[in-house]
Amino acid sequence: MKKFLTTAFLFTVAVAAFAQGAPGVQKSLFEGQYLAHISLAIAAAGCGMAQGKAVAAACEGIARNPQAAGNIRTTMIIGLALIEALVIYVLVAAFAVH
Amino acid sequence: MEHHASGLAVLLTWIFGLARHPWGTFAHGMPMSVLERYDHLLISCLAALVTVALALAVRCRLARIPGPFQQTMEYLVSFVRTLVSDNVAHEPDRYMPLIGTLGFFILLNNLFGLVPGLGSGTANWNVTLGCALVVFLYYNFHGMREHGIGSYLGHFAGPVWFLWILMWPLEVLGLFSRILSHSLRLFGNIAGEHVVSGIFFVLVPLVVPVPLMIMGLFFGLIQTFVFIMLATIYVSGAVAHEH
Repeated sequence: MKKFLTTAFLFTVAVAAFAQGAPGVQKSLFEGQYLAHISLAIAAAGCGMAQGKAVAAACEGIARNPQAAGNIRTTMIIGLALIEALVIYVLVAAFAVH
Repeated sequence: MEHHASGLAVLLTWIFGLARHPWGTFAHGMPMSVLERYDHLLISCLAALVTVALALAVRCRLARIPGPFQQTMEYLVSFVRTLVSDNVAHEPDRYMPLIGTLGFFILLNNLFGLVPGLGSGTANWNVTLGCALVVFLYYNFHGMREHGIGSYLGHFAGPVWFLWILMWPLEVLGLFSRILSHSLRLFGNIAGEHVVSGIFFVLVPLVVPVPLMIMGLFFGLIQTFVFIMLATIYVSGAVAHEH
């Protein structure tokens, strides 16, 4: 997780460096579109990890007890929707920034 | 998302020669007509009409030995019925019509996004917010009908009586934030999928958007299921009796 956050931070700095190279653009790092895009990337990464864990657990459950597949699948879909909702909030925020 | 209109709205504007107003312009600066501006309402009216037409068509020709169309509709209705009766303990059939209708409406709205010349009504927040508000009013009404107003409002205080000053505001806040999460989930998924497939379409107009559109088909189904599933869970939470 620490490595992940470090990478995200370095990526942010790199993007900011590139952005400041562009002429006529006066935007700070934590403002506007850059922030929206970077935060969407971070949210998507977290969501990917969380959904991976959820699906892995559901697969394991179904493999151990195939009779419970229906219930596990329904619960998994609800859980995935709730996890995904957090990324969707960031996506909507990114829409709002544009 | 204001600068795009579906082909149907553009066509109807052209056919009827509707007046153009400066309340919103296309990306290339042309003013929009009322149909192009409120495109999502056009599409959702279309979806509602198709839902009603499907229901009437199957209702008028109910046969003892069902044909393929009737069998499909019976399967869909029994799917919703199983979904509701699995989650609501008392009188599930009372809550089935609204949830099934919402399911059909949202499914058609999602799938219209894949038809050339149409768009998704649910890719606009106003439509999904309307659906979520209807669900919100519906389950609160049924909760109050089932428990009485005082008892329904009281059960937000939680099981430990002296914590009510902490619990009650939080629970009520959670109740209202359900509207937001319920509507934004559907809107964000559909709108995000449209943006992604639009970007791919601009980059490579051939073949490459097809897998994304298949994914859009899948997500449209899944998001409809999630929406009606959450509506069912909210209803069952509101009308449940503690034993």
